[in-house]
Amino acid sequence: MSEWSGDDGKWLDAHYDPVAGLRTFTSCMALADLSGDGDGRLVVADLGGGASAASMKLKVYGGTALSSESVLLDLPCGLVAFFMDLHEPRIPAVAVASGPCVYVYKNLRPYFKFTLPGLDVNTLEQDVWQEARDGHIDPPAIKEMLESLRKKADIPLSVRSLHFLSLDDEHLEDFVQLHKQQPIKRQTVITCMGTLKKSTADEDGVSCLVIGTESAHLYVLDPEAFVILAKVALPAPPTMLDVTGQFDVEFRITAACRNGNIYILRRDLDKPKYCVELSSHPVGLVRVGKNMVVGTTDQNLQGFTQKGKKLWKVVLPAPICTMASMDLPARGFHGVLVGLANCEVHLYKDKNLVSTIKTPDAVTAICFGRYGREDGTLITTLKGGGLVVKILKRTVEFQDRDSTPGPPAAQSIRLNVPKKTKLYVDQTLRERENGTAMHRAFQMDLIRLRLAAAKAYAKALESSLTPVSSGSGRSLKMNAVVQGLGPSFKLTLNIQNTAACRPILNLAVSFLYDQSLYRMRNPFLKIPLLVPGLVYPVQTLVECTSDKGISDIIKVFVLHEEQSTPLLTAHINMPVSEGIN
Amino acid sequence: MEVTMDPLFLAWSYFRRRKLQQCSEICSKILQDSPYDQAAWSLKTQALTEMVYIDEIEVDQEGIAEMMLDENAIAQVARPGTSLRLPGTSHGGGPTPAVRPMTQSGRPITGFVRPNTQSGRPGTMEQAIKTPRTASTARPVTSASGRFIRLGTASMLTNPEGPFINLSRLNMSRYSQKPNLSRTLFEYILHHENDVKNFFFHLQALDLAALATEQAQFKDWWWKVQLGKCYYRLGLYREAEKQFRSALSHQEMVDTYLYLAKLYQRLDQPITALNLFKHGLDHFPGEVTLLTGIARIHEEMNNMASATEYYKEVLKQDNTHVEAIACIGSNHFYSDQPEIALRFYRRLLQMGVYNCQLYNNLGLCCFYAQQYDMTLSSFERALALVANDEEQADVWYNIGQVALGIGDLTLAYQCFKLTLAFSNDHAEAYNNLAVLELRKGRVEQSKAFLQTAATLSPHMYEPHYNLSILSEKIGDLQSSYMAAQKSEDAFPEHVDTQQVLVQLRQHFAAL
Repeated sequence: MSEWSGDDGKWLDAHYDPVAGLRTFTSCMALADLSGDGDGRLVVADLGGGASAASMKLKVYGGTALSSESVLLDLPCGLVAFFMDLHEPRIPAVAVASGPCVYVYKNLRPYFKFTLPGLDVNTLEQDVWQEARDGHIDPPAIKEMLESLRKKADIPLSVRSLHFLSLDDEHLEDFVQLHKQQPIKRQTVITCMGTLKKSTADEDGVSCLVIGTESAHLYVLDPEAFVILAKVALPAPPTMLDVTGQFDVEFRITAACRNGNIYILRRDLDKPKYCVELSSHPVGLVRVGKNMVVGTTDQNLQGFTQKGKKLWKVVLPAPICTMASMDLPARGFHGVLVGLANCEVHLYKDKNLVSTIKTPDAVTAICFGRYGREDGTLITTLKGGGLVVKILKRTVEFQDRDSTPGPPAAQSIRLNVPKKTKLYVDQTLRERENGTAMHRAFQMDLIRLRLAAAKAYAKALESSLTPVSSGSGRSLKMNAVVQGLGPSFKLTLNIQNTAACRPILNLAVSFLYDQSLYRMRNPFLKIPLLVPGLVYPVQTLVECTSDKGISDIIKVFVLHEEQSTPLLTAHINMPVSEGIN
Repeated sequence: MEVTMDPLFLAWSYFRRRKLQQCSEICSKILQDSPYDQAAWSLKTQALTEMVYIDEIEVDQEGIAEMMLDENAIAQVARPGTSLRLPGTSHGGGPTPAVRPMTQSGRPITGFVRPNTQSGRPGTMEQAIKTPRTASTARPVTSASGRFIRLGTASMLTNPEGPFINLSRLNMSRYSQKPNLSRTLFEYILHHENDVKNFFFHLQALDLAALATEQAQFKDWWWKVQLGKCYYRLGLYREAEKQFRSALSHQEMVDTYLYLAKLYQRLDQPITALNLFKHGLDHFPGEVTLLTGIARIHEEMNNMASATEYYKEVLKQDNTHVEAIACIGSNHFYSDQPEIALRFYRRLLQMGVYNCQLYNNLGLCCFYAQQYDMTLSSFERALALVANDEEQADVWYNIGQVALGIGDLTLAYQCFKLTLAFSNDHAEAYNNLAVLELRKGRVEQSKAFLQTAATLSPHMYEPHYNLSILSEKIGDLQSSYMAAQKSEDAFPEHVDTQQVLVQLRQHFAAL
């Protein structure tokens, strides 16, 4: 195989499809035995390329081929496979969360659609729309009232009111006519989804769905009747969930939230029991045994106990793209797979790096489990839409020790410091002996040079030769660029007002050049008002009329209307015209 | 009574003394009297050729068309150390840009300006057509390459009544049978009529060479080399290679080796060129031009250590070789041994090289080798010797550096301003001026200067890095991050940039 399949000999390459065209994330991918024959399948909710609804699909892979696909109605945000009843054969259902709904598929056919209950609507807002329906108030009045509601009300406005407020005045009337008959609703959307066993801890026990919403609530759904069993409010919208335990006995829900905190909930509590405050936003949340491992945007991987105590922290070589757990119950191995932006997948057991897999592209989604007949299969999708399937070798031994060696390699590199030469030593001798004379000579030269520099500087200032001016309250800067090979050149003058806040008005640019050599399209240019800090390119075309292969200097003057002397002058050395005219 | 010399002999004497104009005038007179005098005709042809002769062995300038539309490039992404086109692929542990300044193409600057040292390959068309700091050297030229066109027109001016030989009426096959005439005629066509507008003449020269080779039963190495030159000029490199190789098998000549190596460099095969030079050295041990060729290739591939080795070898053979002395000198200067560089530059001075650049270098070397009494007087002499504004700008810039070194910020400020007055697009001066402005607390000015420096020479990392620091200080983290990334692109190993980036990333990730 090619060079990217460097994976320290622990993995076998099973399948690689660089053009699978999968755009998905770890939360939208699951492995399940969908046909009940013991063959693991890969279920993926594909986000599709771009916003067009037609390309969002639910795809099922078996072996190396796509075995079925069906269209999704809305952009998916989560996918789980779970057992919703006790029927034989034991075939799991697939739940896809998108928008405010959960779509449940059985045997890959649409089976049930659950919609989240609407949120409380602001009563004042309701009154406003009621008035509108009765025709008591006109649209500008509605707008005014809604505007004031938005500013002070505790309950936010509904989507319809917000849309109304964003409209132009001429569209208000139509909008009211169109929508005033329907009652207003406030709907939230699902942000993440997980499963929770109902009453038994068996592998194929019936599971509840756990749903996190944008309104910062967690819902637990009954799998058979799809009624809400429990509802918990969180301080912030959850983005990732991890659930363990049984609903009827004892459970624990860990939710990573958008405010950068992780909340741990337990049964019989209507508010979080523990809270972990992270130093930066979490990008991955995985439970390993009784501990949880969190990856954050500052390239750290941190371990916490289930009570939120920090255990360890590892700094990773690149930003984390995604994370997934790797459980091999047959061997008692529990690890964390971390997909990194430098095209690597790292496997951590606790805080020790035990395996590194190189991928051809950055990883977007990781999934580990039973695929086909193989228990230890790693499935990753890539940023470019590729699909990689790797199988863990059955003979592999993971060492508990960290595989990265101790001191960094840079420590043993010797620096190439040049030696001081004999000549140098001789010269220092001379310096020591004639120190006074040398110092005097230097000081005298220095004074002479200061005088020369000051004279030259004064001369340059007098004739405004410098391309930078700061006198008389106007600070300007100009530089010129010549482009082209000839006979036509493009002359670009970049003029910038470097003052802190004062704009400059009434400026013009004029040129001085040899008219027998060059022809200029615009020898006099007016400059618009110069706003401080911005660069204004002023362009003109210069044509070289000589074919003798000679060039000259073009002088540029920046002038002010009230002043006879130029503010700035620049000399442009024109290149030789090389075109054939 | 005055003894008149035989006019042809007089012309010949003029020719030997390189008074070519007089020689050509006398020949014209002889030809007016007897139009079929072959000796006079041949001599005039040679004189006219000599007037515009340039040594073609020197690496010539690559035209913009050859750079941007190169169809000979075999691998776009060459392996490290096999290509002249990827300047970053150094393996000789050359100096970093923190120590030795870089040219726009990403090579360390050399101690000796020759065609091709400044150019390199521009990344984009825009970069290619932009006029860089010194319009006369650093800019790629068109295939109507600057020198050829100027020389060609010069010859036109000297012959106002029209060209000496009307080439389109010549019967090539007749001339090719006369070996004594055909060679001078060929050189005349190749050198005197080498305007690119006269593409037709190249073909004619090719024709003549082909016929003459045939006449010599494919055994004359000289004609084969000429045939190769014609092919080379026409851009048919593989055909040219064949001719040169065949010529070498007949007769080992240094010239032929040099032509062939030049061709390989044009084909971007520096390793082949190096091998060829080494092969040539087996036949001509200690040949200076071959050794210089090797050193130049090493230098272009950023392998400074080997380049210096070979330049030293050159000096063993020819201890007045200016290029070798200058290159070794600059290498010592940039590897923190200014006192040795000083020795080399003094040697150049003793040899009679007397110009602004040399005094400029001497001044810098003296300053850094702590010979303070000579420093400023060298710069004064350099200022007295300046030939154009560019040189003046460079001298003022270096005086500014010295002023910074002794802590005289007012003088430094004036010097950098003067640099800008003489050379409007001196990016280094803009950068240093920006730092001085920042010290005075004028943030807006400083920022404007840094932005200008960054746009003028995107290959420099300093303005980007400074802009990054400045933006971070005034709290504009986004700009700071963007500038730091640009700095990283220009100089990936720069530790300070990396630290800024790490700091910024932490800032961004923190809640």
